[in-house]
Amino acid sequence: MAGASSVPAAEDEQGTASSGPATGGIPGPGRPAVPAADAPTVLVEDPASGGESAPAAGWRRMLAGRLARGFGELLITAGIVVALFLAYQLWVTDLFAGRTQDRLHHQLDQAWRRPPAPRAPAGDRVRPAPPPPVDLGDGLAILRVPRFGRDYSPVVVEGVAAADLRRGPGHIPGTAMPGQLGNFVVSGHRTTYGKPFSRLDELKVGDPLVVEVRDRYYTYRVTGSEVVTPNRVDVTYPVPKRPGVAPAKDLITLTTCHPKFSASHRLIVYGELVDTTVKSAGVPPALRGE
Amino acid sequence: MYAWFYRHLPGPPRLRLTLAVIAVLAIVALLMFVVFPAVETVLPNGRVTLGD
Repeated sequence: MAGASSVPAAEDEQGTASSGPATGGIPGPGRPAVPAADAPTVLVEDPASGGESAPAAGWRRMLAGRLARGFGELLITAGIVVALFLAYQLWVTDLFAGRTQDRLHHQLDQAWRRPPAPRAPAGDRVRPAPPPPVDLGDGLAILRVPRFGRDYSPVVVEGVAAADLRRGPGHIPGTAMPGQLGNFVVSGHRTTYGKPFSRLDELKVGDPLVVEVRDRYYTYRVTGSEVVTPNRVDVTYPVPKRPGVAPAKDLITLTTCHPKFSASHRLIVYGELVDTTVKSAGVPPALRGE
Repeated sequence: MYAWFYRHLPGPPRLRLTLAVIAVLAIVALLMFVVFPAVETVLPNGRVTLGD
């Protein structure tokens, strides 16, 4: 069908072709390619395609249009996918982390209810024997910060690999455990994944940070905070920023990203142990306040 | 692409629209619960920890 006008009548003269009725018409998909039966057969020339026959040019244009539209739709789709990823990061990861935290709470609850594994040297009341090592990703303590509200109680997990931090704030392995001499260092997400350390910037000097373990509450008080570059691992030393110095105090250091939605800096909050309460003695005063 | 998809849905417009909405929701769910969790582990913007 499309071939009809592309077959020039051999006897047509050049003049007939250029003065044909269709010359200058807009070739396109909608335009019939076959001239009316009674119309003289003409060699239709598309001015734009330089001598090419009209259906070929029309076909080309249609293809180009389709390609352009397909490409445009592809770009729109890519934009939507990027926006969805943002929504995923900001809200869906919180959902995942919330479920993981519920599970961790349950597991800790179960573990703490069981009698502790026998330990060789029974620690004294104030300074217990070091707790048994915790597997990476497992919960080891519950952090409570009255300033963040009564419901704030994220389970601190062992490890600070990306997979651990997706579960909750992570204790840097090798740093002191809560209640041990040295620096108990915990890193957490500022945004995404439940954003446990989202409000770390609101802490003020003197604010209590309570770390709950199997049998005790350790109450720390905030002593200060600062913003550093990410390479400053010295804030995690047993005595922060004093390499090689033996610790004389039980410290806590919380680290998170700063500013929010950026990873360019780290917000560091320091604290030191002020009170140790055995669980059988009830909730520590810092948590009773409100 | 979108037009092509819609053209190939069966039934009257109302059914087509319903099917299209279901398809979109299914794709979004697939992204949120399968694709994104897998993809984000290899994206550099999640690397916030030292030596990880």
